[in-house]
Amino acid sequence: MIQEPLSYAASALSGPLLLVLAAFACLLLPLFFRQLRGTQGLIALGATLVAITFYRKAPPAEFSFFCGALLLSPLSAYLWAFALAVLALVLVLSIARPAAPEESQGEYYFLLFMAATGLMVLVAAGDLFTAFIALELLSLPLYALAGIRRSKPGLEAAYKYFMLGAFGSGMTVMGIAILNALYPALTFTALKTGPAQPLALAGFLLVISGFAFKTALVPFHMWVPDAYEGAPTQVSAFMAASVKAGGVIVLWRLFSLFNGGPIHAIFWWLAVITVVSANFMALAQKGLKRLLAYSSVAHAGYLAVAFFGGQRGFEAVLYYLPVYAMATIGAFSVALLLEKDEKGPLIEDLAGLAKARPWLAGAMSAFMFSLAGVPPLAGFFAKFYAFSGAVNSGYTGLVVIAVLMSAVSIYYYLKVTVIMYMKPAAAERPAEAPGMIEAVIFLLAAGVILAGLFSRPLLILAAEASRWF
Amino acid sequence: MELITNPLSLLILLPAAAGLALLLVPPEKEGSLKGLALAAALLTFLVSLKLYTGFDPALAAMQFQLDKPWLPSFGIKYFLGIDGISLLLIMLTTLLMPVSVLASFSYIKESRRAYYACLLFLEASMIGVFASLDLFVFYMFWEGMLIPMYFLIGIWGGPRRIYAALKFFIYTMAGSVLMLAAILWVVSAHHAAAGVWTFSLPALYGGALTAQAQFWLFAAFALAFAVKVPLFPFHTWLPDAHVEAPTAGSVLLAGVLLKMGVYGYLRLAVPLFPDAARVFAPWLAGLGVVGIIYGSLVAWSQRDMKKMVAYSSVAHLGVIILGIMAFEPSAVAGAVLQLVNHGLSTGALFLLVGALYERRHTRLIEDYGGLAKVMPAFSAVFLIVTLSSIGLPGLNGFVGEALILFGSFRVYPWLAGAAVAGVVLSAVYMLGMYQQVIFGPLRHTENKVLPDLSVREWLYLAPLLVFIALIGVWPNPFLSRAQPAANNYIALSKQRTAPVTPEVKIALGGEETR
Repeated sequence: MIQEPLSYAASALSGPLLLVLAAFACLLLPLFFRQLRGTQGLIALGATLVAITFYRKAPPAEFSFFCGALLLSPLSAYLWAFALAVLALVLVLSIARPAAPEESQGEYYFLLFMAATGLMVLVAAGDLFTAFIALELLSLPLYALAGIRRSKPGLEAAYKYFMLGAFGSGMTVMGIAILNALYPALTFTALKTGPAQPLALAGFLLVISGFAFKTALVPFHMWVPDAYEGAPTQVSAFMAASVKAGGVIVLWRLFSLFNGGPIHAIFWWLAVITVVSANFMALAQKGLKRLLAYSSVAHAGYLAVAFFGGQRGFEAVLYYLPVYAMATIGAFSVALLLEKDEKGPLIEDLAGLAKARPWLAGAMSAFMFSLAGVPPLAGFFAKFYAFSGAVNSGYTGLVVIAVLMSAVSIYYYLKVTVIMYMKPAAAERPAEAPGMIEAVIFLLAAGVILAGLFSRPLLILAAEASRWF
Repeated sequence: MELITNPLSLLILLPAAAGLALLLVPPEKEGSLKGLALAAALLTFLVSLKLYTGFDPALAAMQFQLDKPWLPSFGIKYFLGIDGISLLLIMLTTLLMPVSVLASFSYIKESRRAYYACLLFLEASMIGVFASLDLFVFYMFWEGMLIPMYFLIGIWGGPRRIYAALKFFIYTMAGSVLMLAAILWVVSAHHAAAGVWTFSLPALYGGALTAQAQFWLFAAFALAFAVKVPLFPFHTWLPDAHVEAPTAGSVLLAGVLLKMGVYGYLRLAVPLFPDAARVFAPWLAGLGVVGIIYGSLVAWSQRDMKKMVAYSSVAHLGVIILGIMAFEPSAVAGAVLQLVNHGLSTGALFLLVGALYERRHTRLIEDYGGLAKVMPAFSAVFLIVTLSSIGLPGLNGFVGEALILFGSFRVYPWLAGAAVAGVVLSAVYMLGMYQQVIFGPLRHTENKVLPDLSVREWLYLAPLLVFIALIGVWPNPFLSRAQPAANNYIALSKQRTAPVTPEVKIALGGEETR
């Protein structure tokens, strides 16, 4: 019996280890071998694909490693697969259209891999301190990635993101310090059984605020629009999909330590404020990337609503994350395809897209309708699962607010389709041969169309994983 | 395999698959696009004939049932089945669809491929709404229908199409999201009581919900359906959407989409929450009558023919709501028949207005006059349809309206009396419009050369005319199918499911658990 966890751990951990190795390979090899310059992307993609093939179905048990710092279970396997898939998609986008200048290619892939590793450790973290380290491993590379072009919008994005992110990290550290005084072990299991004290509450609040920064819950969302807009679009796509996932998982762990009480009340208010204000703020946006940024904030709110559904809610969260990631990476890819400067296209730049490139416009509408939660697209199923748990636990008021706000969100998602289909193009669009970005877009569009109607396989995986948090 | 062999499921999958297939045809092959769309619509109609012949009118139970698990962890099933009401509405849909396709041949000149695909997707979801017996599946079709209709109005519509399409989508969606929350509530209450997750309607009927819970749940459902019907004062999206939509879009909006709202009351809102339905019924019937008078008066003052027909729909649907809220056998059966009648006659009116518009590119009444001289066949058809719409005895409109008014008079004498006034008004404005368009001198020289109905126009008008006359003189095959379902609806509405203890709180604040 001892053999099995070790052999499983060896194969499971080979994924992140391979990513770390590949990260250094991307960074260092081209320095020594001149002919390898420019191929970092391919090395990176190859390594990720190898990591994906190493992926193995987890045995139905939870193994803790490194004194409980890492918990390997079907849950971590599910989320690692998610992280690898997101990474692979972002790599394809980065190869098709390099996000970093020629001389920074190596750093770009290095940082991206470090961030992905950070995400993988974060979702498997068994104690708060590991979670914090992993969060920093996820965030620090992203600050640098946001500004990797060293252009004005990029630096502004990186600066804002770093300042606010550092503030959030500071709060987390403070909170962990307080909690450490009360719970020496700091593992999530120990936190659950500890005594309730006012000081502990303060500690938890600080930690929750720190992770709410990463998940982009209002009022901790201020960095999101600027960071998403100024960062290279490939990086924005990665941030939207992965940082949110990492933050949400840790928040869920913190949320489920409690059974009602002030922490849940705070989450209730965070969810309400987030869905209401994010959706209203999104109405006024003109830039596509800013729109997607506010949409990402709103979706963080819907995910927080799902927390209230207990076990079912967590299952819904695990289904929600990949569905949201597909739609948002898809939409960012469209932005990437159409962007002429660093801030990405304005929504009105999409005018006439339906005439010039009907399939692309169709895919973009699929992403928009999925984000809006219109059936039969996957986003509807995700929202449905998320809300059904909360209603079942008696949080009908919260769900009523959330569904009303998703009716508000219809307006800004529809605005994109209105521009694409019903406004004439300002200028003739040159015909372009489809490339790898289109391949990603159509793959993801097929995903959001099929993952809803045929949500059973993904739902079963999510349900299996949700039992092991 | 059952997905294909069951005629109901086939009726949903066939148009959807045909729509997908259309997207693969190269857009420049105009002929094959049109041919494929028409063939798919006709084939769907032929399949629906099988429903008609196989349907046993004596049974009140759901027929042609298909029950396949879909998402078992939530108890969601692909559960289909029809009774007489759904049968008639599905037949109406499949009849109007080839008509709409045929009517679009010359009107739609841009992106035909996407247009016909949208029409077919719309048909699939409309049939899905009428055929599903699972709340989740129902909601999916109900909302999914918005996407193709939104594009139909927004891309191929008139000058104010963007405004109309957005208004249509947001109004309907905003009305429906609360229904989603209510559906989740009902299902979780059923889970709490019975211990199983199910979205199946027959299982949820008669659930023991408190009167207060029923009140809120009925309100959420009723709002969604009131927007769709549309009931006064939720009707303001309708004139915009109808006027801006292309002809086929208006035909389907008036012919089928509005019926979905009424169908929602018949199938969901009232049977699920009978206690609350009894409380709301007089108010809804009252709103229906307000809609009759208001719709007629506004229609009277219109100068645009399409707008007039649109407002007349508000009035006609008001009569139907009065009928179903009377819970009286003949009124409910009459209302079901009137759903079909309204689809036929208003559909035909939109087609005729569309035919005129294609010739002259105007819909203003004053731009016409004296058409009887140049377009005699058109004038004759227009006359029949107008008379059918105002309910002349011998044509279809009369049977339905008379049954509704007789039936509801026993329950709401004052409301029924006021409704009669509305019916009289409809004669005033419809005949007034007819007279100004068809009779009188030929004032405009452009009108002297208008061609009469073409063969294609005859082809799509003829089936509607046949049914307008047939239901007028021989309504029995239709009524006999609607009656058991109507009786069943009344029986369900008479159930008293609320427990007697009135003091039960519902957790609407969110912080308290049940």
